[in-house]
Amino acid sequence: MFQEKDFAKLIQRTLLSGVFLSLLLLLAGLGLSLSGSPAGAPLLKAGLLALLLTPAARVGMLIYGYWRGGEYYFALASFVVLALLGVSLLV
Amino acid sequence: MFELTALNFTALLAFGVFIGLLGSALGVGGGIFMVPFLVLALGLPIHQAVAASLAAIVATSSAVAAVNVERGLANIRLGITLEVTTAVGSIAGALVAHKLPGGLLQLLFALMLFPVSVLMFLKGRKAAVHAALPAGGSKTAFDSAFFDPAAGAHTPYAVKNMAPASVVSFFAGSLSGLLGIGGGIVQVPVMNLLCGVPMKAAAATSNFIIGVSAAASAYVYFRKGLVPLELTAVIVAGVLGGSFLGIYVLYKVKSEKLQLVFSALTLVVAVKMLMRSF
Repeated sequence: MFQEKDFAKLIQRTLLSGVFLSLLLLLAGLGLSLSGSPAGAPLLKAGLLALLLTPAARVGMLIYGYWRGGEYYFALASFVVLALLGVSLLV
Repeated sequence: MFELTALNFTALLAFGVFIGLLGSALGVGGGIFMVPFLVLALGLPIHQAVAASLAAIVATSSAVAAVNVERGLANIRLGITLEVTTAVGSIAGALVAHKLPGGLLQLLFALMLFPVSVLMFLKGRKAAVHAALPAGGSKTAFDSAFFDPAAGAHTPYAVKNMAPASVVSFFAGSLSGLLGIGGGIVQVPVMNLLCGVPMKAAAATSNFIIGVSAAASAYVYFRKGLVPLELTAVIVAGVLGGSFLGIYVLYKVKSEKLQLVFSALTLVVAVKMLMRSF
């Protein structure tokens, strides 16, 4: 059975992974950019993208968690939010 | 044209830390201070300021929500339900903002700050009066409980008025896309006053929500190439530092006192932005 505590841990790990990955990329990109290296800008973009995709990853985990827990209303609400985030990436 | 000098670097980093502290204490993303700071102090074009602010809000929200979810403070069911209309509003706001001239956007921002200042002042003064309804009677899936270290006890609460709260969340989301704020400044009072969620849980849930609303708007700005990369990286680093610091330092602090200070600060910023928009 998927417990509430496991669910919270899953969300927490997803958010922290996204935050630390983006911070790592942003700091590396910033360092390279300030030293005049052309590799800085792509790293900065990657870090920013990792940061901006973190909430979407968290919503993805909510779909998984609520689906596993049998709470289909909240799984559907999470799916709608993820779809809206997808739309905002395209407009 | 903005240049990342040593002075600007230090100012951005320090301001980021302040915003992170603010976010973790009050459940707001800090965009109401960040956009004016970037426009007034650093001379950044407002569209770029909004874009950088949105990225910083995503950082605050993600860092703070990670801890609040584990502590059981953020009401995830309530959050994800309000996120639906908030995200729709965010996308609409970002699309409209891109078509508006910078001067008009600044004017809108300044006008929005005045009611925010009043609301914060009233919340700070009356927070204790608006006590949450204890959970009981007809239960809903949104009802929850959390441990409040300030009270030293578990606080159960019932959630009401979800339909009107969803409608107001749409407007909170549109503010996010339009003006580069997370919308927490609207979400927290809505959840506290309209839904009956205790202040701490409302702030934590708001922090959970604003990450999605800011991300939805930020994608639009990112695709249009409006995010200033170096500046945003420095702010995000500061914001994350401040957020993690605030999570542990301010956990036991009563946020009501802080709200009075921020109310006065918002008023000053509003007047400055209004003067600049003409």
